[in-house]
Amino acid sequence: MATSFEFSFEGRAVAAKEGQSVAAALIAAGERWLRTDEAGNPKGAVCAIGFCWECRLNVDGVPDSRACMTEARPGMVVRRQEGLL
Amino acid sequence: MARSLVIVGAGPAGMAAAIEAVSRGANVSLIDEAARPGGQIYRQGHPALAAKSYAAAGELARKRRLLERFAAVAGEIDYRPNTTAFALFPSRELHVAVGETSEALRSDAVLLATGVRELAFPFPGWTTPGVMFAGGAQALLKTQQVLPGRRAVIAGCGALPLVVTAQLLRAGGTVKALAPLHPLGRALFDLSALWRGREVVREGLGYALSVAQASVERLTGFVPVRAMGRERLEAAVLQRLDGEGRLVPGTEREIACDLLALNYGFLANGELAAMAGAEMRHDALAGGWLPQRDELGRTSVPGLFVAGDGAELRGAIVAELDGRIVGAVAASGDELGPEIAHVQSLRRRHLVFQQALRETFRLPRGIWSIARDDTAVCRCESVTLGQLRRSFAAGHLSLNTVKRSSRAGMGWCGGRSCLHAVAALAEIHGGKTPEEMMTPRPLARPVTFAALAHQRKAGGA
Repeated sequence: MATSFEFSFEGRAVAAKEGQSVAAALIAAGERWLRTDEAGNPKGAVCAIGFCWECRLNVDGVPDSRACMTEARPGMVVRRQEGLL
Repeated sequence: MARSLVIVGAGPAGMAAAIEAVSRGANVSLIDEAARPGGQIYRQGHPALAAKSYAAAGELARKRRLLERFAAVAGEIDYRPNTTAFALFPSRELHVAVGETSEALRSDAVLLATGVRELAFPFPGWTTPGVMFAGGAQALLKTQQVLPGRRAVIAGCGALPLVVTAQLLRAGGTVKALAPLHPLGRALFDLSALWRGREVVREGLGYALSVAQASVERLTGFVPVRAMGRERLEAAVLQRLDGEGRLVPGTEREIACDLLALNYGFLANGELAAMAGAEMRHDALAGGWLPQRDELGRTSVPGLFVAGDGAELRGAIVAELDGRIVGAVAASGDELGPEIAHVQSLRRRHLVFQQALRETFRLPRGIWSIARDDTAVCRCESVTLGQLRRSFAAGHLSLNTVKRSSRAGMGWCGGRSCLHAVAALAEIHGGKTPEEMMTPRPLARPVTFAALAHQRKAGGA
């Protein structure tokens, strides 16, 4: 049985299970809007397997981290990416 | 000295090729982006997530069998998970990156089993969060234990929309509508093809039964024309296409949903083959731009082989058989032996059914005209149809000049999400064929400067 923990997204606590991706945990929590692109449009996960790069966000200060390819970890600080940052 | 072989991709074709080549005494390296073998179809979740499975029993048995056979020989393979192959040169020098280091691999033979990615067409609102690929939604379900949406609309062609609909229902989701572009039944008229594809047909009927029992509304011939919502998807509007591929006025249906899952076919991940200088061809029904190959998987570049869906779209069963055949050739040349002759005849049987399925992937030309001038075609750089039309009108009719003038295809995904659409639009607006548009450029994947700077001393398999 997978253990559960929390990480922070936009300052809110989000529950995740061990082994889940950041994208999966956010979608399970009802969060679809992961990024705002340079043109100002909200974006979410699209391919969920790593090729489209639409779900990139800021994980512990590192921008352009793909939510679908990044494993969620306890205490991680995740923020929406705004434009290039 | 044993022959060295580097295989890229640990899906059905790559795993089967590695198993076969090792049994023939080759020194095999297997490069894969994922943390665990399986590729997309046989994708394995994190071991801590003992995911419940919603797939057909036959598919699960094939997956288990292949993964077990791979595990049995994995100790003899230089298996490199979490590794990105980002460049391949005609000399067969393959560049791979792990985190912030890279390495150049040299070998007697390279076998690309790079698989496919999903395809959609641009339409107003298609970048709204909640509009996803159907296979992506399936990946969340099958390896993450996450329901990708509570009220889904699923649309597309081929069999995947039906499969994902059934799996979402089995997982407790609600599917408001299933919109297959073509009736799948069309492939069922050919009884001899049905018999030859009996394993897949049986699995398909199981999925169809799940969907029928849930009385999901079926909107055959409808396509999404608008996704509504800004920060999240609120509704999808679907409209019927006529036989000529034109939208039929007055047939719009607005359906409230939080997931619009789409699959309008697959595109081969052919970038490495093209970069190595392999002769390419274009077949929209078999994966778009494809390396030319013979039935033994040989390309025009000496020592470069391709296998599986990334070499031509034919499904997982054929991919595994193909990987085994091409792996044998890459390891031992023409001395294939009687077992491989049997695998070749099995591959021929399954190909008959795959050929019958192929028509269900045909996209009418009109599907590329649903986007408006302000619809983004290149999602990464927000390049709109209007900008592309200006670029075409100015005479930019190769992928390179379109990229330079509009920035389409210049973003993070490297054009892998939009260049097929740019080529289709260039054909409509500028009369260029996809063959004429093609201009492969490195790199096949984004890679950091740090990884390029920290190149480990060249090694071989």
